[in-house]
Amino acid sequence: MSETSIISTSNLNLWYHEKHALQSVSIRIPKNKVTALIGPSGCGKSTLLRCFNRLNDLIDHVKITGKITLDNEDIHGPDTDVVSLRKKVGMVFQKPNPFPKSIWENVAYGPKVHGVKDKAELDRIVEQSLKHAAIWDEVKDRLNDSALSLSGGQQQRLCIARTLAVEPEVILMDEPCSALDPIATSKIENLIEMLKEEYTVIIVTHNMQQAARVSDYTGFMYLGKLIECGRTVQIFEHPAEELTENYITGRFG
Amino acid sequence: MAEKFHTELKALKKETVAMALFGRTMLRDAVDALVRQDTSLAATVVAKKEQIHIMEVKLEENCYQLIALNQPMAKDMRVIACTLKVITASMRIGRYGKVIANIVKEISDKPHIANLMSIPHMAELVIDMIDDAVKAYETDSIALIADFSARDDTIDALRHSIFREGVTYMLEDPKNISRCTHYIMVARYLERCADHACKIAENVHYMNTGERIEIH
Repeated sequence: MSETSIISTSNLNLWYHEKHALQSVSIRIPKNKVTALIGPSGCGKSTLLRCFNRLNDLIDHVKITGKITLDNEDIHGPDTDVVSLRKKVGMVFQKPNPFPKSIWENVAYGPKVHGVKDKAELDRIVEQSLKHAAIWDEVKDRLNDSALSLSGGQQQRLCIARTLAVEPEVILMDEPCSALDPIATSKIENLIEMLKEEYTVIIVTHNMQQAARVSDYTGFMYLGKLIECGRTVQIFEHPAEELTENYITGRFG
Repeated sequence: MAEKFHTELKALKKETVAMALFGRTMLRDAVDALVRQDTSLAATVVAKKEQIHIMEVKLEENCYQLIALNQPMAKDMRVIACTLKVITASMRIGRYGKVIANIVKEISDKPHIANLMSIPHMAELVIDMIDDAVKAYETDSIALIADFSARDDTIDALRHSIFREGVTYMLEDPKNISRCTHYIMVARYLERCADHACKIAENVHYMNTGERIEIH
């Protein structure tokens, strides 16, 4: 990978109790690109994703060794503030999880927590974030409606808008379309394409066609190891490793 | 589902090999008919053009369906990409067989000039290349196509030699012009068939390694 990397890990290991869930993972995530992580269930891709914003810290009996840097700074360093790390590295989950509040409140929540109090400024952030998340036209006349009144696809784009509202550098997406229908999926995929102009996106997906469609780089993981990572075209046209070949052609997994 | 797809892919390959051998046999029979001035054998080759066209359409449809329904990747995708090229090349080889067979009707009234010059020898080499390319496709063995560049050079040299020799006979006696023009055209068609064998070889290499090569 010749691009500038925004996140890199070197020799990253993670244990849940005795289970060695990530084994010597070294990966570089290029800036302003979409990187997809693929692999069978339990291979460690979501665990790796959660390392990037230290979400695994919230789980008991997790031990991590190795190094993860964001913008060349160690995210486990003593100077790292986890709250500001998670502001820089936002996350979108498998199932849309809007707060049971209005659409406006959902998006304004993050900036408020980070100290923005001015209503006009909050309005500006809400509008911009909803526009960036390609949902503004659908909700602009009902910002005070409950977020729970939106469809699943709209809720997921609202969650992306909520992530964008705090101006992250990286957006982590853990199976963002698995609960959505094909039309909503297509909207999220188009959105991912637009987002990479300003953000770096890392997406975990079980859907290999989706990884092939939306990503610039793809990493294949198996049993806690990163088997291969390279340009998506190369991985899906002629992977270097036989394991990758066997997985993406459906011979196992 | 992957198992079903891989079974269908194997069947596709098998049927494509059968089509390639069908096209190859059209060429083989056309050359034999030319050498022996056997117009009835030539007529059987011409009659096969519809059949090979039907094979082409059916196999291409098969490829498109496999792509649409399975979204193949990596080697599976490369096998289908290569198969589409093999289908086209086989169709062209068969069609050149038909064109040569049509020539047989035109020039079977009088004996051949200079025993057809090097055409029979050239045809043997071309058909060997087709056989090796198809075998390489069938068995994934790129060793069979390793020397295709040198073999193609030989074919080009033979075509040039037949051209020169044909022109010499034409200059000697204008009555030879029509017959020798046909010989020169046959040499040209054989050379094109060798090019199609090279195209198959290039694609078999891609199918097996993921790397593009150019054979010329």
